[in-house]
Amino acid sequence: MTGLAGSMAWLAEVPLRPLVVAGLEMSIPLPPGDRPLVEPGTVVVPGDLLLEHVRDRRVDEVDVRTPQGDRPPAGSRWAPAPGRRHHADRPADGELLTPVPGKAGRWRLVTGEHRAQTAASVRATVVEVRPGTVIRLRVEGLAIRGAFAAGASARGRLELATDPFGDLRPGGIDVGRSGSILVVGSRIDAEALTRARAMGVRGIVAASVAGKDLRDFQASERRQRAALHMPEPFGVLALDGALRRRIATPVAALLERLAGHEVALLVDPPALVFDATGVDLPIIPPDWVRVRGGPNLGAEGRIRELVGLRRFAAGVHLEAARVDLDGEPAAEIPLGDLERMG
Amino acid sequence: MSSPTRAFATIDRGTATTAVALIGWAGGRHRLLGATAGPAGVPEWALLERVRRRAMAADASLVASVGLEREGSAADLPRLECATSVPRELAVVAATERVLKPLAAVAATAGWRVRGLVIEGADILKLATSLADRHVVAILAGASEPPGADERNLIAELGTVVAATTERRPDLVTVLAGGLAAPGGKIGQLFRPDRPGPTMLAPSPLDDDGEPLRALLDGLRGEQDDARRALAAATRSLARVLRRRVEVLEIGQSGGSRTLGGWQPGSESWVRTASVPRAALLPKPFAEADLDAVIGWLPVAADRLRLRDRLREMATAPWADAAGEGAVVRLAAVRAAAVRLLEATPAFDALPAPDLVVVAGGTWLAGPAAAAALAIADVARRPGARAVGMDHARVLAPIGTIEDEDERARLLADLRDDMIVPLGTIVLASWLRAGRRAGQLTVHGADGPVDVELAPGSVELVDVPPGEHANVELQFQEVVDIGVKARHMGLVVTGGLGGLVVDLRGVPLRLPDRLEPRRELLASWQGAVWPGFDQ
Repeated sequence: MTGLAGSMAWLAEVPLRPLVVAGLEMSIPLPPGDRPLVEPGTVVVPGDLLLEHVRDRRVDEVDVRTPQGDRPPAGSRWAPAPGRRHHADRPADGELLTPVPGKAGRWRLVTGEHRAQTAASVRATVVEVRPGTVIRLRVEGLAIRGAFAAGASARGRLELATDPFGDLRPGGIDVGRSGSILVVGSRIDAEALTRARAMGVRGIVAASVAGKDLRDFQASERRQRAALHMPEPFGVLALDGALRRRIATPVAALLERLAGHEVALLVDPPALVFDATGVDLPIIPPDWVRVRGGPNLGAEGRIRELVGLRRFAAGVHLEAARVDLDGEPAAEIPLGDLERMG
Repeated sequence: MSSPTRAFATIDRGTATTAVALIGWAGGRHRLLGATAGPAGVPEWALLERVRRRAMAADASLVASVGLEREGSAADLPRLECATSVPRELAVVAATERVLKPLAAVAATAGWRVRGLVIEGADILKLATSLADRHVVAILAGASEPPGADERNLIAELGTVVAATTERRPDLVTVLAGGLAAPGGKIGQLFRPDRPGPTMLAPSPLDDDGEPLRALLDGLRGEQDDARRALAAATRSLARVLRRRVEVLEIGQSGGSRTLGGWQPGSESWVRTASVPRAALLPKPFAEADLDAVIGWLPVAADRLRLRDRLREMATAPWADAAGEGAVVRLAAVRAAAVRLLEATPAFDALPAPDLVVVAGGTWLAGPAAAAALAIADVARRPGARAVGMDHARVLAPIGTIEDEDERARLLADLRDDMIVPLGTIVLASWLRAGRRAGQLTVHGADGPVDVELAPGSVELVDVPPGEHANVELQFQEVVDIGVKARHMGLVVTGGLGGLVVDLRGVPLRLPDRLEPRRELLASWQGAVWPGFDQ
């Protein structure tokens, strides 16, 4: 009935957040025109090509005739007949989008000149390939789940740039960090994010990213991706949310142990994936709790007991617990504001 | 459940919180022994044990009489269970905006998140990409019946694009409605018969107020123990038990629902329901307009960027930050969500007005009960007098999962006084002319008559405790609309935690456009029912 020992069973009333998860499934968008380079069941390792992305997608019309005279399904690949491939006015190869209404054998083709290949950032098994829709992978290794992420999935060497409480200023990022995924503590702003990308950093992990900074970064990312040269993948992962707080101690301890290891930052779902071989997970005392919301956001401590319904600010009655927070005298905190980790 | 069970549990698994209740057979009827809620993910046995422990502390002999004196015994009880899931996405596609609008409006009340797409003037690549998106699990394509002049030359394109999408994603459920569903129509022939996903023919969104199409789309969602469907069944039974028209307004983390149940002597009870994902506390996607709507109901100043971040946190941990300003923000978000719910269901306003409004869902519990009563008065601006209650234990939906209507009604008859917390009565008048005095209210309570001067634009609160009734006389200087048009009126009102609320603020409620005076006005109303809300 519970993973907690009998005398600690009451702790089950405090929400539990797993430190790591296994068997994560990730999704990679595969819009019409992009060509999958893998099949279901394929095991990929970091660097293996997953898909060919058409950067300048456009629609051409082509006559599609099969030797048998049957109609191909939408989503199938099409290429011009051999020998005509190099004519400038002939369409390039692409994906059949829809038939043209009222014109037998005439199809719309999604094609483009500029193509880029996307590589796997993790070791994984391909679960599903659905042309025009998605590639789904089951990731090997363990993952620290985040609250949200932006940018693109990336891989790099994990480096700790600050302590779990710290902020990283733009001036603190130089080319020496190129190729790394940086753990930057409590928060990072949009300026530091764009500088990190410019310096060749592959990813940023922070406890929180404010909504405004995230939107600014996403706008900058869209401009980068619209440029002629495809930028290196760069992602940002917010472990907890949008409001400032420090990285949880067990997560920080795990990240310290992973420093120097190759890790992957995933965007969908937001997570940091690592190979668990040779990495000891930190041991978390069962009564360790962290404040997930409210005025003590980010504070940590030990839960002493449940105290039942208590009256809080604005006259709201909530289930509460008595908690020793960061060495301060015991305080009553709403149960909903607490989380355990394990 | 055909013979009285000594005790059983109800479980309502919401997307944000799980609510549990213990119900026991005592004194010849079912009684609510206790209820609680916790964040989704907290084990149900732990919540049930919390309720059992508290019930034991309150009345050990009662708990022992239903066999729950042993620690852990509540976890083994039979259960009535229902669940709410995150709404999935339905692409609604039509030739023109004109045709799309009624289709999307019906789909949006059937429990689906709607992605509306039109063929006219569309970039075909963007359209096909949007239809093929992995988040889309079904497509509703429709045309007027017969197709209008503006869409005739686009219908072939519509059929081709939808059929091509189903070839790309053969498992997609496809619904053809209105003119596209005409027998022998050419569109249906475009779909490969051997694909795994079904192609269904549906009526027009204009048939019978869209109800047949809504029912079909609602059924497509599956989700056997869906809490919102169960809530509709329970509302119907509650209307039968109370012999009143009952409206349930439910706001949750993943959506909201509006259900109106009615009863007439000599005929079967009836129900009409709508499940509206856009009426979620924080709908997805959360647009700037949604943020504006929350700010528009806030009685305290808030920095826009910080509020957005706070709401984002609320979306990821909806149970956290529930005290202090967090509660005030929640109740503002509840009002904004309720407005979206009422706007999405205009057809309900043409039905007979309810006698009792019940609010359901964990979000209404954000503040004191009286604040919830005021929130209803703020958003549901239909003139008339109606009692207001709260499904505080969240047992209504689990009871709705009982298939036999008679059995459901018997249980509701037993529990009605336990499960609906009376919030009071709202009397809402319109047609009041501006001026210093509108009339007079006389309340004939147990302690003698109380006279209250009525001023246009005001909200008058009169203490009528729960369980009490009071005779009320309303005398206006002009004819006003209180459901009926009259100058003098006598009513019997039921008391509640919020008492009697006489709302003379007019219909619709007009608030200042400028934020500061708006906040002051909202704070003055809210302060009367929620002392210390700004602490």
